[in-house]
Amino acid sequence: MDFKAPVESFAGSVREVSIGSGAKTVKIGGENRLAYSPFDEGSTPNPPRLALEVWDMAPEDWPESTTAPFADVLSDPVKWAQKCVDYGADMVCLRLVSTDPSTKNAPAEAAAQTAKQVAQAIKVPLIVCGSGDEKKDAEVLPKVAEACSGESLLIGPAVKENFEPIAKACQEHGHSIIAQSPLDINLMKELSIKLSKVFPADRIVIDPLSSALGYGMEYSFTIMERTKQTGVAFKDAMTQMPIIADLAAESWKTKEAKSDEKQGILWEGITAVSLLLAGANLAVLRHPDSLKLVSDTLR
Amino acid sequence: MIIIGENIHIISGEISKAVKERDAKVIQDLAAAQAKAGAHYIDINLGPARKNPEETAEWLVKTIEAVTDLPLSIDTLNPVAMEAGVRACTKARPLINSASNRTDSKELMLPLAAKYNTDLVLSVITDKGCPPDVDSRIESIMESSAYANELGIPNEDLWIDPILLPVSADQGQIVQALEFMKIIDDVLPGVKSTIGLSNISNGTPEELRAILNRTYMVMLGRYGQHSVIADAFDKELMDINSGRMPQVVDLIYKVMDGEDMDTASLDPQLRDYYKTTKVLMNETLYSHGWLED
Repeated sequence: MDFKAPVESFAGSVREVSIGSGAKTVKIGGENRLAYSPFDEGSTPNPPRLALEVWDMAPEDWPESTTAPFADVLSDPVKWAQKCVDYGADMVCLRLVSTDPSTKNAPAEAAAQTAKQVAQAIKVPLIVCGSGDEKKDAEVLPKVAEACSGESLLIGPAVKENFEPIAKACQEHGHSIIAQSPLDINLMKELSIKLSKVFPADRIVIDPLSSALGYGMEYSFTIMERTKQTGVAFKDAMTQMPIIADLAAESWKTKEAKSDEKQGILWEGITAVSLLLAGANLAVLRHPDSLKLVSDTLR
Repeated sequence: MIIIGENIHIISGEISKAVKERDAKVIQDLAAAQAKAGAHYIDINLGPARKNPEETAEWLVKTIEAVTDLPLSIDTLNPVAMEAGVRACTKARPLINSASNRTDSKELMLPLAAKYNTDLVLSVITDKGCPPDVDSRIESIMESSAYANELGIPNEDLWIDPILLPVSADQGQIVQALEFMKIIDDVLPGVKSTIGLSNISNGTPEELRAILNRTYMVMLGRYGQHSVIADAFDKELMDINSGRMPQVVDLIYKVMDGEDMDTASLDPQLRDYYKTTKVLMNETLYSHGWLED
């Protein structure tokens, strides 16, 4: 008897989100089948994208293996970002760490100017992340949105407690938003519902939080996988958003990554590949060699 | 369906204080109010009752029996408090709430139902915790009910509890509990059933909890659920249970049957029941914003 492989087809599709303006526009999402299932019906119009992260101040606690590739540019975010592009990054993720009240508590205006300079200096789209301090981010990110009006950035993280001012500014200035929830699919959906009442759903990217290999990655994997299944197979409009796997910091925080460069690159690379298999559309990495590793693996 | 009023619960600060100070009025008012609201049983949740278990249980039973003739459900995992509470009941046949398939429960709690000829809530909990699926829950309850039968407790006195977890913790198991209820009468003919209904909405914002409880009660009722431990002060729940809101019950049944309907034309109250049933059937992913979805 001949074997005939079953072919699935799904009724739902992930929204396509455009990041970056003009010639540097990159699209993520848009697929109407699950990740890495080319045997099923449907299409995956946009491949997963890989970003490298840049800090707006020289990092003090990074392992030497991750500062070495950027040693000459660590205190210049513009040059650092350009170097990321040279290393082959599809996007750059600028982290406004200096605005954190527990570091330099830099003012929102200054951070916004840095973001603008970086956005204008690179030929790939820019992701801008606040420090993660929910109060300060509610001040900083709207300023970024305003200063970078028209650049179509991806801005975040917007969380349950601060999404309103961030959404308002991003709406006004044409940016997309990262909606971040704490490793819980129900809370993820709740934020999508609330956010999409005041912001276009086709400009939302979900960040369900990415844990590193050996440190809870399976939680992130399951949530990303279920998010895509719910959206694509069960047509749940509130989970049909592309997913960002922001895994650089978590991966390089592990003792395995810190103790050995080769191991660190593998740690970051394997975490990224796993989460992309789960359905992430965009991964944020730190080391140029893990970018290369992931990109070669995907190819 | 029999409503076991859950409102006398030691977790409540007010109750805990009243018990500690032996303030009969607070307890009696709550018992009388539940009776007035239409509860069929009054649950007395003593918690672990580490201090003076016997005296506390006795005092509570006497205090409550002074204002109502309703049967009592003595709710504690402490067998000493349980025995004292059951022994103190003079008006109606009490319900032991609860025993399980745990070794200690089978040794110390379960025999009390035979000794005092009471009804008994028997849950699927085992020494390993709550069994994860329908089959293992059935397996657990087969074991413990056989054990109860050997002690002389007939199936008719057993109120089987499949253990309900919050929808916000594990949405998939809600349907599992329903499946369990659907088949339990075939597996153990003659048994009754109960469930901690409000647990389904534990972790859900307070103002949104009631509709989850009510909807699930209707869903369970369709499969012959005998009783639920529930909030007797939820008027809509009591109204649904007493047949005063047939339109809600009809709608929930239709959603359970997968009937297509035009949700835009439903009135807002029914639309909320529609969305809630979809969530509890595990057809829509739960979030705290499910009614706005």
